[in-house]
Amino acid sequence: MATVNPAFDQLLKKGDLIESPSEMTPEYLRELKHTLLVSGDTELISAPAYYLAAQRAPSINAFMTGIAIIQDELAHAHIAYHILEELGEDQEKLIFSRDPKSFRYPYAFDVPLATWTELIVANLFYDQAGFCLLGDIHEECSYGPWKRGLNKVMLEENFHLRNGRTWAKRMAQAGGATKEELQTAVDWMFPLTVEWFGLPDSIKTHSTQLDYRLKGKTNDQLRQWWLSLVVPYCEEVGIKVPAHKEGDAYVLDYPFPCTFDAEGKRWDFDDPCSWDDVLVRWRARGPRNAEMVAGLQEEFHRFRKAHVDA
Amino acid sequence: MPVNIVDLGIVYGVRRRDARVTVDLTFTAMGCPAADFIIDDVRERLLREPGVADVVVNVVWDPPWTAARMTRAGREALEMWGLAV
Repeated sequence: MATVNPAFDQLLKKGDLIESPSEMTPEYLRELKHTLLVSGDTELISAPAYYLAAQRAPSINAFMTGIAIIQDELAHAHIAYHILEELGEDQEKLIFSRDPKSFRYPYAFDVPLATWTELIVANLFYDQAGFCLLGDIHEECSYGPWKRGLNKVMLEENFHLRNGRTWAKRMAQAGGATKEELQTAVDWMFPLTVEWFGLPDSIKTHSTQLDYRLKGKTNDQLRQWWLSLVVPYCEEVGIKVPAHKEGDAYVLDYPFPCTFDAEGKRWDFDDPCSWDDVLVRWRARGPRNAEMVAGLQEEFHRFRKAHVDA
Repeated sequence: MPVNIVDLGIVYGVRRRDARVTVDLTFTAMGCPAADFIIDDVRERLLREPGVADVVVNVVWDPPWTAARMTRAGREALEMWGLAV
């Protein structure tokens, strides 16, 4: 345990829910806020990330589906930031006054989703990753208000997965150039989502989030859960993915981690790298980070200057 | 959603003539983001019925759907799911 507070630790061990800041230790509060911030930032940034591609929808109804997914993501972000506000954070400052590099969302969203096909693969892979991460928090979370909010979030995430799976199957069955475009998107987005779950357990040997029951599964357990959901589906519909099952576990068919060229959307499986290299890439953020955060923040400040502060 | 489309009240009519089934279907909103999925599901499910070779889905807007068109079972299912109806 990261705290030295036997009564609080006992409460957590018993499986009780924490309901208000007055019950928390400062360490628990800090870890809860960090976990909520990652969740809120991830949901929020998925909106501009998905919107770029949703505009390229191949039909009006597909466009509506894309927009509805974005609306869900904004609502899910709103829940996380709202709870942060209840915990004493300033929601406006968090969203509109933070440096782009300090946003805590997976690197994958920084790589542009430029086509409808890439949005579909994002629904197939990224939303499935979100489903695993949030599903685990929903199951285990020791903070009552967030756990209850996630009841609804989880139901809505199913719709995003459905969009990914339905369209991916349709595109794979279409064959030809459509299937090739789908496979090209899968080729760069699959390893990017594998990486999403973070450092392997062999390196990250201790998690305060696990101690505090802010999640229940380790990084590798979450990664395996995700693989067990996406690999069989991809194989079933005829999409190739660089992973296979050995015994009870899924094994990657490439060195993990390895080098990624974000501009070219290409992995070099012949160039393994270290996790330190990956951390350097993550911290530097990817191509769309500054632009997406600026897009969210600029209008807020312009409007405020013109209409509120005037 | 944990409710079938009959209890949701969006199926306005089903007619069968030989191997063809025609369904009159509406949506709870014109902007229903799941419209394509629902139409695909209706078609796919009916084609699994013996003797059905062709499915025509007519999307209709008159009369407009309201919550009053839900069955009691549909209402209860949505309330269980957390929707006020």
